[in-house]
Amino acid sequence: MMSFEIAEPQTLSEALALLDPEDPSVRAIAGGTALMLMMKSGVFRPTRLVSLRKLADAHTRIDARANGELAIGALTPLAALEDAPMVRSRAPVIAETLRTLSNVRVRNVATVGGHLAHADPHMDLPPVLIALRARVAVASRRGTREVAVEDLFAGYYETVLARDELISALIVPAQGERRAAYFKCTTRAADDWPALGVAVAVDGAGSAIREARIVLSAATSKPARLRAAEAILGEGTADAVLARAAEAAAEEADVMADGHGSAAYKRQLVRVYVQRALRRALGAPGVNERAQR
Amino acid sequence: MAAGRKTIRFTLNGKPVETEIANHHNAVEVLEAFGLFGARESCAQGLCGCCTLLVDGKAVSGCLYLAAFLDGAVVTSVEHLERDGALSPVQEAFIEEGAFQCGFCTPGFVLMVEQLLDRCAAPSEDEIRHYLSGNLCRCATYPQIIQAVQRAAEKRKASAAA
Repeated sequence: MMSFEIAEPQTLSEALALLDPEDPSVRAIAGGTALMLMMKSGVFRPTRLVSLRKLADAHTRIDARANGELAIGALTPLAALEDAPMVRSRAPVIAETLRTLSNVRVRNVATVGGHLAHADPHMDLPPVLIALRARVAVASRRGTREVAVEDLFAGYYETVLARDELISALIVPAQGERRAAYFKCTTRAADDWPALGVAVAVDGAGSAIREARIVLSAATSKPARLRAAEAILGEGTADAVLARAAEAAAEEADVMADGHGSAAYKRQLVRVYVQRALRRALGAPGVNERAQR
Repeated sequence: MAAGRKTIRFTLNGKPVETEIANHHNAVEVLEAFGLFGARESCAQGLCGCCTLLVDGKAVSGCLYLAAFLDGAVVTSVEHLERDGALSPVQEAFIEEGAFQCGFCTPGFVLMVEQLLDRCAAPSEDEIRHYLSGNLCRCATYPQIIQAVQRAAEKRKASAAA
């Protein structure tokens, strides 16, 4: 690793002033678990890292808003999110997903904002957050704006954020009556990066499904909703309908081959795991319980 | 001070220390500079757990932790578990169950088990397997490690009752 400058601003506005909209070698660093890997491999060669750790006290709160939404500070470590009673009660699918996200040590250090800004398509929370209609608050010297997590990712390791913008908070609508589940398939070891992740959130039951979201990650260059499959669920939740939705999902998914599996293999995984995730969410039996480990 | 370097101050195994680091160094390199070799950089990707240390009481992968982030922190390495020549109950349990062969991964496992038992005094086998899923033992002494965790939990319970 080549050497670089580390700036340690005390406030969000100082941090924003230290970012450079034109220079890709200047980046914010929070926990650093992902950036360290990129720096060690030489993929990222910084000239300046803007450490956000002195901002942590002001940006690690988890608040419940009057409308039921959770507002989560961007510097909240993933482990704190996992353990927060408010997250368990209002969006249990997030706590369940975190249990198998990387390992304890990474979850102790990696932050919510860093997880999202990194935009690695193999990450576990983005598909879940898209299924839950979550959004991020984004700050810059020009002010703040909100971006739906669904619209945050521009491509492989790319977000729609400008280089001088920072995610300041994650806002998650309460799960409420929606039933949600996340399934992933790791092909080499239990805690490996997934070959595929599928998150679903279903509002309504039986033949009265009002809305279903099915989001695919890891098998694709960025997390993507599978809208044709979602539309089919308007016909209900009979086995034949779920099977047709899974078939549509496999057909529409823009699957990408990588070290975790070929495109053909991942397409078959989509077919199988979309059904498993839907059955888990709908509380139906027959789910392969071993796969949830 | 030269560009790309800085002085950090932190508490290392109970004592205040100060050292100059290069900005690109990680926490394992800092411990090595203090003659502490229990945390070892092995996979270098945060996957294997051999470089585990505690920062402000929480387990982190030293290989993915910038040295600069140790400034102001309370840092504990495996070397601090021994007190007055006596090993911790977790360390004793690993020896009694033979929960290692080459021993390279053992310091990381021991620190993770200390954390697990601080969180949960009597973890189930499923909880043990899950908590330790981010630690690799290439000698595959996993059955003995699980027995060692159970034995350590009993030892802690017994010493708390005494």
